[in-house]
Amino acid sequence: MNTSGDDDMPELRYAEYVLGVLDADARAAVARELETSAEAAVAVSLWQRRLTPLAERIAPMEPAPYIWTRILAALRPDAPDRRASGPGLWYDLRLWRWLGIGAGVTAIALAVMLIMPLGGRRPPAAGGLEYMAATIQQTNGITGWTATMDLHRGRMVVIPATPAALASGRAAELWLIPAGQRPIPVGMIARDAPTTIALAPATLARLGPTATLAVSEEPIGGSRTGAPTGPVIAKGAIGAAAVAARRRTDDHRVV
Amino acid sequence: MSTESRQPEREELNRLLIRTGRGDRRAFTELYARTSSILFGVCLRMLRDRAEAEEVLQETYTTAWRRAGSFDPARASAITWLVTLTRNKSIDRLRQHRDGRLEETTALAEIADDRPSPASAAETSEEYRRLERCLDGLEPRQNQSVREAFFTGATYNELAARMQVPAGTMKSWIRRSLIQLRACLET
Repeated sequence: MNTSGDDDMPELRYAEYVLGVLDADARAAVARELETSAEAAVAVSLWQRRLTPLAERIAPMEPAPYIWTRILAALRPDAPDRRASGPGLWYDLRLWRWLGIGAGVTAIALAVMLIMPLGGRRPPAAGGLEYMAATIQQTNGITGWTATMDLHRGRMVVIPATPAALASGRAAELWLIPAGQRPIPVGMIARDAPTTIALAPATLARLGPTATLAVSEEPIGGSRTGAPTGPVIAKGAIGAAAVAARRRTDDHRVV
Repeated sequence: MSTESRQPEREELNRLLIRTGRGDRRAFTELYARTSSILFGVCLRMLRDRAEAEEVLQETYTTAWRRAGSFDPARASAITWLVTLTRNKSIDRLRQHRDGRLEETTALAEIADDRPSPASAAETSEEYRRLERCLDGLEPRQNQSVREAFFTGATYNELAARMQVPAGTMKSWIRRSLIQLRACLET
């Protein structure tokens, strides 16, 4: 305190604020000042530019996929859905608009999802129904399949849209490709009917907006090597569904 | 990646945050995909508790969505804006604990051991490397105190207890360091 000149004092308070050493009261005082003083805001942003690069020293850590679903749930434009969890959610058209999935596919997805029993498996942070989806496009630009993933039940339903024909003796195999990693086999998928696949916990843990689904052409019964052997005929990024219902209202902390 | 090749990534993040500010959900999804592991690393480092880090990460992105409209790329890059938001949320959370539980159980040596290894030079920005050089120009205990403050969000009193010096000493260390850093970074 005695080592810094008095001229530096206001400036130093902003630096201390950015570094994070102020106690709760002093911190709140600077935060209030920032709302009214342009000068303070500029001083703080200069200190942010000086000190924030130090965060590059921190090792990145991939968050669990359910965080993204929780974020979307918290950001729903209207009041959170307080209905009991159940099939009603699947009639929410906003989900399907977000996913860009057409009505015909929606109807089939609904039918399939509705008859699925609620399994015992839950994602690590149970408490919400969590959905993700992907539109799997073929190399010709036409949607081959759509996949909807129910993280709560640990199931994926893959519904054919207009998949191209395969050579005889060949079949379509679905792969999950986490960003920068090797494809993980998910299962064989049909071209003429919805396929329901139970997701292994390891697969479930890797679903997220940085992952991709891909379909490759394989021998009947699937690749025998554990990796795709035939050409990739379709792929699509996984997106989180914009809607999540909460099983209870008290497990949902709204910001 | 050199600074030169990091620049396009930085500008892409700026564009995504600007589009997020206009209510573009796809841009927000992409922004999350590209930045969430960085921000989650920051949350974990500061809060040292996975459940709390997850909550703060969630708060950070919901706030980012709502406040992205006020993002000004002339003032700070998107990644600086996001890391700042994350650190502020983490520090607020730490302050709610009132005088911190960490001090009771965490010795300084333990924290020092936990310090992450430096990212390889190839993956860091010019700004980061310059800041590291300036920090290393500080007297060693002051260097350590500034880093400790940045990575743990500790108050003066908490830092003083960890470093086993009087609070007044810690204040003058940090303030002297900040003035020295500013001068070093401006040369």
